[in-house]
Amino acid sequence: MPQSPRPRVAALALAVGLVLADSSIVVLALPEIYRELDTSVSGVTWVLVSFNLVIALAAVPAALLARRAGPGRSAAVGLAVFAGAGLACGLADELSTLIVARCVQALGGALAVTAALELLPATVGSERRAATVWASAGATGAALGPALGGFLTELVSWQSVFLLQVPVALVAAVPILSVARDEMSTRVIEREVRQTGRPHLWANLALAMVSAAIAAALFLLVLLLIEGWRLSPIEAALVVSVMPLAAVLSSKLADLVPDARARAAAGAILVSGGLAGLAFLPKATIALTIPPQILVGIGLALVLSALTETALGGRAPQAIHGGWTISSRHAGVVIGLLVLTPIFTADIEEQRHDAINAGTAVILDSSVNPLLKLDLAEKVSERLDDEQGKVPTIGPAFEPKPADPVERAEVEQLQGELQDQLDRGATHAFSTSFILAALLGLIALFPIALSRRVDL
Amino acid sequence: MSGERRLSGTVLIVGAIAASLLLVGAYLAAGGSSYEPEKVQDPCKPREWTNPQSLGQIANQFTISALDGAACQLGVSRETLARALATPEARERFERRYGIDDEKLAKAIRAGLVRAVDDAEEAGALSPLIAVPLRETVQRIPLEQAIELINDAESFLGDVDSFLGPADDIIEELLPGGLGGLVSP
Repeated sequence: MPQSPRPRVAALALAVGLVLADSSIVVLALPEIYRELDTSVSGVTWVLVSFNLVIALAAVPAALLARRAGPGRSAAVGLAVFAGAGLACGLADELSTLIVARCVQALGGALAVTAALELLPATVGSERRAATVWASAGATGAALGPALGGFLTELVSWQSVFLLQVPVALVAAVPILSVARDEMSTRVIEREVRQTGRPHLWANLALAMVSAAIAAALFLLVLLLIEGWRLSPIEAALVVSVMPLAAVLSSKLADLVPDARARAAAGAILVSGGLAGLAFLPKATIALTIPPQILVGIGLALVLSALTETALGGRAPQAIHGGWTISSRHAGVVIGLLVLTPIFTADIEEQRHDAINAGTAVILDSSVNPLLKLDLAEKVSERLDDEQGKVPTIGPAFEPKPADPVERAEVEQLQGELQDQLDRGATHAFSTSFILAALLGLIALFPIALSRRVDL
Repeated sequence: MSGERRLSGTVLIVGAIAASLLLVGAYLAAGGSSYEPEKVQDPCKPREWTNPQSLGQIANQFTISALDGAACQLGVSRETLARALATPEARERFERRYGIDDEKLAKAIRAGLVRAVDDAEEAGALSPLIAVPLRETVQRIPLEQAIELINDAESFLGDVDSFLGPADDIIEELLPGGLGGLVSP
């Protein structure tokens, strides 16, 4: 009796969404992991880097394996490995364990995603439709990722971000098991690989650069909001959801422009423009992050779809070339994080040093009682020192407030001035990194210009 | 698909450039690149006293001058020294980090207090009658009291005023329109 393809399509889409959303879900949990596992900003970055690096390296071999061993079996095994490693991530109590588990999780994820792209054409009826389902699932996952990650981290724990992936991966694996069983019973496995050319170098190179810029946008913005402006994970999640939301809402714009190269170029420019906007925020207020995020969101919707179409267009098998695009995107994320992390870590450290001195200078130059001001100077610098890079709420250093109304007003004014100084300093600490990320987006224009014109 | 609306690639690219320039231009115009962290001032440069109106304000500026003078002598910033003097633990950390022992610190703080007395006298906030003995006193003051004096200059100056105030009244009687308050806001 023929089975309805719907559950299988849904399962494959769920698997792709789950794996490709991983980075955006986990990024909101990083500040909490950073604190709880008592590591450094550079150390916690490896939770993200390790996953993306392994996917970048494993995507193409995984696609080849999926074609040789059978995509159903590969997808099922990949999801099982992803789930098992997700469980290990959730139970990890030190950074090294977490990073090793993340590498294993990435191996499973690479296998599941590339196998899904191999299974989809037969399930939905055409390669083009398969590519659309695959890309939409990835985009939806990335759109829901930040909000989901933020809510889970704040309402439950950072561990729940990984633990929730376990049942979702297993649910996605169930409908795929029947394909795996069929492959086992018939023992008919397609071993032929149609040779239709090498991977599209320029499109994949541009994908890597743009992905580096986009990953930096999300990662840096989350750090700025949580570590710099002291937002909770839920608040930060809501703020950064503007980016994927703008991407989803503007996805129809891509249909209006047939020239994929023009869409890619416009997208890269918008991503860079948005990042430059984040680099020059005039004030430390959430509202001012919205317009740059909208530009980045529209830009990523245009550029990622256009470059993926260009990379896959007229090439088969889709799984192998899809593997190259996954590899490029994740390699870009790794490059972005590895290049920018030491830069903004150094900038944050410098900012902390400046903030301690600026805070003390503001207090010393204030008109509050000298006895109180020296005590305040020490308490504020202690708070700044303890937080190791995070800009703290300095309120507790100002407690208890003086009973005298005049002195109290002076202290409150001083507290406001000082917090403003620290917030602006924290915002400024991210500027260089945002500018460099914007440059990465602009450099992507060169491979885009060199890519073959594909009108779709 | 002739019925569908199409947009030229050039229009899309020009639109993207315009939107990006507009955003960046607006943010720059609103002061997006103007942030400069508060600069730490050179403690060796003279710091002007701003016409103090009360004993509290005199004490405030006295503290700043003393910190400036001591920091200048030690070759550190006023901010670093202020944090070091707040608690005994902070002082120990400071001494370890900069290789400054108690003797060197005491010498520097005394020099700072002398500068504070000089600045106060020059600004007309401290009567010459009290400035001279005060200068002599702070040059011999033990370290702990010197730190206390910086921390609580208001009480000290208040005590000086109440202790020597009657002398000022006597001088006022002898020399009508004379020296005014010894600590005179």
